[in-house]
Amino acid sequence: MLSNIGNLLIFFTVVTSLLVIFKSSKLILSSANSISKNIYQLSILQSTFSIMSFVVLVIGFVISDFSLITVFQNSHTTKPLIYKISGTWGNHEGSLLLWINVLTIFSYLFLVFSKKFNNEFRLGTIITQNFLLLGFLAFLLFNSNPFSYIFPVPLEGLGLNPILQDPALAIHPPLLYVGFVGSSIYFSAAISSLFTNFGGKQFALSIKPWVIISWVFQTLGILVGSIWAYYELGWGGFWFWDPVENASLMPWFVMTALMHSLIVLEKRGTLYNWVVIMCLTTFTLTVTGTFLVRSGILNSVHTFANDPSRGLFILMFLSVMILFSIITFLKKFKLQNYLIETQSKETLILLNNWIMIFFLATILIGTVYPIFTEVLINSKISVGPPFYNTILIPVVIPILFLMAVAPRVGWIKAKFSISYYSLLVVLFALLINFLIQKAFKSYSWYSNLIIISSIFLIIYTLIDLFRGNFKKDLNNRLSRIISHLGFGLLIFFIGINHTLTIEKDFNLKVGETKNFLNYQIKFKSLDLEEKKNYKAVVGNFEILNKMKKKSEKLTPEIRIYDRPETITYEASIKSNISHDLYLTMSNIQRTEFYNIKFQEKPFMIWIWVSVILIALGGITKVFRNESNT
Amino acid sequence: MKNFLLQLFFLLFVNNALLCMEKNDQELKIFKNLRCLICQGQSVADSNSDFAQTIKLVVKDKLKDGKSENEIYDFLVSKYGEWIVYKPQMNKTNFILWASPYLILISGLILFFYLMRKRHK
Repeated sequence: MLSNIGNLLIFFTVVTSLLVIFKSSKLILSSANSISKNIYQLSILQSTFSIMSFVVLVIGFVISDFSLITVFQNSHTTKPLIYKISGTWGNHEGSLLLWINVLTIFSYLFLVFSKKFNNEFRLGTIITQNFLLLGFLAFLLFNSNPFSYIFPVPLEGLGLNPILQDPALAIHPPLLYVGFVGSSIYFSAAISSLFTNFGGKQFALSIKPWVIISWVFQTLGILVGSIWAYYELGWGGFWFWDPVENASLMPWFVMTALMHSLIVLEKRGTLYNWVVIMCLTTFTLTVTGTFLVRSGILNSVHTFANDPSRGLFILMFLSVMILFSIITFLKKFKLQNYLIETQSKETLILLNNWIMIFFLATILIGTVYPIFTEVLINSKISVGPPFYNTILIPVVIPILFLMAVAPRVGWIKAKFSISYYSLLVVLFALLINFLIQKAFKSYSWYSNLIIISSIFLIIYTLIDLFRGNFKKDLNNRLSRIISHLGFGLLIFFIGINHTLTIEKDFNLKVGETKNFLNYQIKFKSLDLEEKKNYKAVVGNFEILNKMKKKSEKLTPEIRIYDRPETITYEASIKSNISHDLYLTMSNIQRTEFYNIKFQEKPFMIWIWVSVILIALGGITKVFRNESNT
Repeated sequence: MKNFLLQLFFLLFVNNALLCMEKNDQELKIFKNLRCLICQGQSVADSNSDFAQTIKLVVKDKLKDGKSENEIYDFLVSKYGEWIVYKPQMNKTNFILWASPYLILISGLILFFYLMRKRHK
């Protein structure tokens, strides 16, 4: 029943998509001056159909209709309701449908919110957007249909991977998808602008809100993913340079670069070609990321959904997309007269862009290099955190200085000079760094450099807040100040967190006590707990900080889920403003010992807060833009 | 002024930075650099598996024998292959991996400034 309704709705979505393409092309060919109501209606109909199909799938999950293979494979009757619902997008088929939903909704929103721009350009964008949509619909129908039917109907489902049964993971994919799919709008817009010769300032304005919105969601999506990894995967880390994480970070760098060069296009009418290249690259990288993740070509901790046949389809789609983009770009390419002085804000923004591309290139090379060595010379290598840290971190230092200084430099023609004022800020940063070392402990010269440059950015940006005519032009700078401040704080807290983390790994029996540094860790007892969908072994620990004379109780768990049968290790975390205490335990087979991992991580919460600040900058920008128009 | 800054630099950076590395730190650093071969994308430090526990013991023993970090990596690579270390070794096949990011960065910058120059003339 649900299967039929779902398939029918998908079919309607396909039909409306074809109709939109047909009608829009006709309008362009007849060079009509306005967009007829038809297109709006079709577009909203299309979103409605796809949203309804998604709702049908959610219903399937909620009522546990196991006649749908997707529900059968990823759900179970005893699962709490919220995870039944979030299970809808916790699997490949459902998430693809969510992806399609976002695509149709964004197309409609673009149509509605772009009324002041050239109609031909808008129609072109909608047509391209619908071609993309058809591609994904074909993928859904021929390869990953969430409405596939199974007979005889199983009585019980296989259950959802327990590590995915988590509130953060319920909101992580939707956030990320809005970011990912949001970038399709400016991909389509770029293609359309090439065909319709709609460039310059107007083009920049037309895509600006979409770039910022997708960037904000991408940022938040990555944040929620990291928080989840932090407490669920039991690493105590929050970023592991895992291929799947890289897949979400790569488009982020291009979006960031694009956001900055868009300012140049808007204010100075130059860099059009570069902006188009980045628009095309962002969505291409998004699909590349999807390919890497879903095909199972890479070994990752995020092991859901991989199947080579899917990989093949996405690879074909990707190749067509890239080929089409390149051919269109080369055919329509017009050499632009670029007027950029060496000493100007434009130059610095280009420099920023190039560094972003460097970050992107490093991650892309690191992620795909093992595939090539394996295929070409049959040697399997791992590219992990040490590689990325070694290559990327040195370049973070100049970018922190650039982020502080560049916004102050004037457009068109300025004069670079080292002011005493900057030197003063440097000295102040050195002083703060010195005090931190005195208060805690000293760290390597390398960490010093990073922390000093981040303090430099923080102070510089804060001073910027109170500079000049405070009320009048604060409005213009506010979003930038918030985001740059957030980034400075992020690097600062990561640096501090990295250098001052206390980490200890040891084995204990029940009743034993471990002493080290200022800590005394007492393994008091073990409890057995029986929950609705799992059993848990809970350890009771008391952690005494001998210096502060403060003790905390932590209770890490080993959970045994029955559907599907999986063991997970739940970390116990006590967070407060100054630090997190982090404890995990795991049993060592054939002994009565438990392996305990203890960490004290300073300023953990502030890392999350910094990222929220970064995103907040983008949010204020979007709202300010809205209120201006 | 220059002299003063230099002195300040040494005062702030070069105190006892190099003494920070304790034995425990080194152990952890090595654990974090090794892949748990039976897990999905976890390091030996992060994993709770038997394999990880065994490797930890091996590393601890080797350290006790006075082996250096690189010697331990070499030993494990000879046994399990390059897949086990997260930091790809600097050799002929991995040269492109290590060099290309900076090549891209630098060549881009050179091209950029070259174009600027040219336009100015």
